[in-house]
Amino acid sequence: MKNKQERSFRKDPGRLLSSTVMLFFFSAFLLLFLKDYAWQAFALSLAVPAMIWLGVNLLPRLFPADKLLLSLTNFLCALGVLVLYATNPDYAYQQATYYGVGLVAMVICIYLVRIIRHWKLPVLLLMPVSLGLLVLPLIIGKETNGARNWFYVGSLSVQPSEIVKLSLLLIISYFMSRRKLLPWLIFAGGCLGILMLQKDLGTALMYYGVTLMLFYASSGNLLLTGVGLAGGAGAAVMGYKMFAHVKKRVAIWQNPWSDYDNAGYQLVQSLMAIASGGLFGVGLGLGYPRTIPVYHTDFIFAVICEQFGLIFGLCVLLMYVAIIWRGATVAMAARTSFHGLLAMGATLMIGLQTFVIIGGVIKLIPLTGVTMPFVSYGGTSLVSSMCLVGLLQGVASLNEDDLDEDTRLAMLGSQEGMR
Amino acid sequence: MKQQRYLFKILALIMFGLFLLLAVYGGYSITTYGNRWFSFSRNPRVRAQKQTVVAGDIIDRNGITLATTVDGKRVYQGSEESRRAVVHLLGDSQGQVSNGVETFQTRYLYGFETPLSERFQTLMAGETRHGDNVKLTIDSQLCTEITRYFSKHNPGKNGAAVVMNYQTGELIAQISLPNFDPMNITQATHQDPGQPFWNRATQSVYPPGSSFKTITATSALENIPDITTQEILCTGGLRVMEQAIRDYGNDVHNKLTLRDAFKKSCNNVFTLTALTLGDEKLRKTAESFGFNDNFLFRDLVVENSTYPTENRNQFELATTGIGQSALAATPMHMCMVAAAIANDGVMMEPRLLMSVTTAKGSTRPLYQPKEYRTALTPEHAATLQTYMRDVVKSGTGTRAAVPGLIICGKTGSAESSLSGSDVTYGWFIGYIENDDLPYAVSVLVESIEDGQGGGSTAAPIAADIFKYLQGLR
Repeated sequence: MKNKQERSFRKDPGRLLSSTVMLFFFSAFLLLFLKDYAWQAFALSLAVPAMIWLGVNLLPRLFPADKLLLSLTNFLCALGVLVLYATNPDYAYQQATYYGVGLVAMVICIYLVRIIRHWKLPVLLLMPVSLGLLVLPLIIGKETNGARNWFYVGSLSVQPSEIVKLSLLLIISYFMSRRKLLPWLIFAGGCLGILMLQKDLGTALMYYGVTLMLFYASSGNLLLTGVGLAGGAGAAVMGYKMFAHVKKRVAIWQNPWSDYDNAGYQLVQSLMAIASGGLFGVGLGLGYPRTIPVYHTDFIFAVICEQFGLIFGLCVLLMYVAIIWRGATVAMAARTSFHGLLAMGATLMIGLQTFVIIGGVIKLIPLTGVTMPFVSYGGTSLVSSMCLVGLLQGVASLNEDDLDEDTRLAMLGSQEGMR
Repeated sequence: MKQQRYLFKILALIMFGLFLLLAVYGGYSITTYGNRWFSFSRNPRVRAQKQTVVAGDIIDRNGITLATTVDGKRVYQGSEESRRAVVHLLGDSQGQVSNGVETFQTRYLYGFETPLSERFQTLMAGETRHGDNVKLTIDSQLCTEITRYFSKHNPGKNGAAVVMNYQTGELIAQISLPNFDPMNITQATHQDPGQPFWNRATQSVYPPGSSFKTITATSALENIPDITTQEILCTGGLRVMEQAIRDYGNDVHNKLTLRDAFKKSCNNVFTLTALTLGDEKLRKTAESFGFNDNFLFRDLVVENSTYPTENRNQFELATTGIGQSALAATPMHMCMVAAAIANDGVMMEPRLLMSVTTAKGSTRPLYQPKEYRTALTPEHAATLQTYMRDVVKSGTGTRAAVPGLIICGKTGSAESSLSGSDVTYGWFIGYIENDDLPYAVSVLVESIEDGQGGGSTAAPIAADIFKYLQGLR
């Protein structure tokens, strides 16, 4: 018993962290409340810390979980709500709701990973369902910002590629851990093909990157991974030559200033916002973030940089790095190949998506419209990011159970030896 | 399983690498390009700040106020002539001139950089906020004089001139013709075919012509061991790839050394030198002078200079040696080339801001001399200095000479075909060797007459500038 206590104490650097995080958001929303005495801000100043407390302190009582990971993801979600409130309160109320839904979805994912022992049937079911879901926007979807990747259910907009990325992880982890090449190759290929048709290049890049990386980890076959990489590069070059919209994206990336009133407008506004923030930012709720188009989704990192400054922006990057670090640790401690691949896949998905969008916002790579995990406005995106963390936490809790079991057996053994 | 764990570690490291790339690139691009992004004329933050903050004054190095704000209106002071002379440096309140002080230094003029404590004081006292006053390194009187020299020696001609301190990089004067009156921008100004809003000193690139022979000569000194003692035969012309490259006035110089060839600006010798050097070596030297570099100066936006890298053949290489081909440089950059030779090989970064004073009177000096790059070794610079001295003493640049001063320089006449018709540009780049007057000059005169050259058009203007600087002693 003592052993366990010690271990859980050691694994709880989250306590001080979560208190600090709660205090940060309490004072931030209070500050916004003092600006115009809107009661919503005051309500959020209590509700958001409460949600963080629920997420970080209550959940681990239900099952063993990684508290640091919980603190980080909750901080990022709350940061999204805060920045959205400071720019457009309407988005913030919805985002706060999604945040709650996301917490519930995360718990469900954790339980699913814990309960399901035989994944064959769910995976076989998921394959056709996912492909069908992914095709839907092509049939009944609306085109926004050049991509046709979402549709309406009632008044709710759904972006299926966000949901399918969960089943993609389950499917490829399952087949890869069983060394079956064809099923996942066909599925991943099908997904990529559909995404290309939707012109959703950012998501396609993420799917492709995660699949390739997991293949490398499961097989260790550097040669085939190289072939896959070359194939991807070849497809990218071909896409550049064949599609006008890809060419345009690349041209904007190379010099957004040459056409700052039209094509380059988004990126130019983003860069100006980042530059005007300086090192320490212009201050919460100040500045002109709303001049950036889609400031609430794709360009939310530019808004963060303008209001909080470059140093804070780098700290946010550091938080994602910490999430990747924890995720990789969980994956490495997993007892089965499937769970390891699942945890690593979720980690890579979060990391790669963050890289793709922030890289686009700061003009490191051509901009592709994906959301910033946890922070960007959007129900599907936030919930699916929380589900990714749920998968990760599920694996983490299984690891923890196994570790307890080992300790119990070891102690039993030593007691027997003493006898 | 064990292997999988190891590979997970590698994947995690790859992700860390990607994030490190994000952080490094983000930090780097914001520190180097941040001010350029921010001061972009379409930045809505600046436009909004203009509603609430009174813009600061712009003052020249002698304390003369060039621009101020009276009752919310931007006023450019002085006579019309003096307003016109500095208009490209300052810019205008409408933002027609890009990257003048008015737009590129909005950070200071509109108080974005005012210390927080002072901003707080102003807020508490309920006063109107004032931006910072900016003091420039410019001598506005000299700017006005240079426009007069232009109309004296080359009436009606367009062009540009730059004067800088070659030891510190301080910009002393810079003009561009045609200019306009910022207090009276009319429809005619907009429709003027001479494009008066265009800053020819920093925004326009021209073929440097024979003034580029400074760089060809440097490359020869660096790469051909016995070049200083060699005698080269000038036959008056050279056929390269079925095209003739002739000397100015079809002169035949017979046998001469590099030094003599430089003095007489012999095309024959320099085309031969370029062919001996080869494209690779000549390009290397040009790049060490800043060609093909992305100029990112703190105070100024200068168009990049190019040493051509496409469609290279023997003919193009030969004409590059005499500053033609697709070579392109701004008068500002050519002034820096002369300055680097004068400063024993070290090229200083051009600087325009001297200090900034807040509305409450606290002054922050901004001026720090900064090396931009080492263009050539001190030994080669010393050799070049003697060559350039010869040019003014007894070569093509005698009209730049000023009694009582040691003047060094190089003339140039560059040809270029603009929309079908051939145009000749007159160049003079040079400097004062006397230690107490460390100034470098570059003068460019557009579309000079047939039979004229840099020595007869640009050099006399440089001489007048040198005389003015002599008067500062």
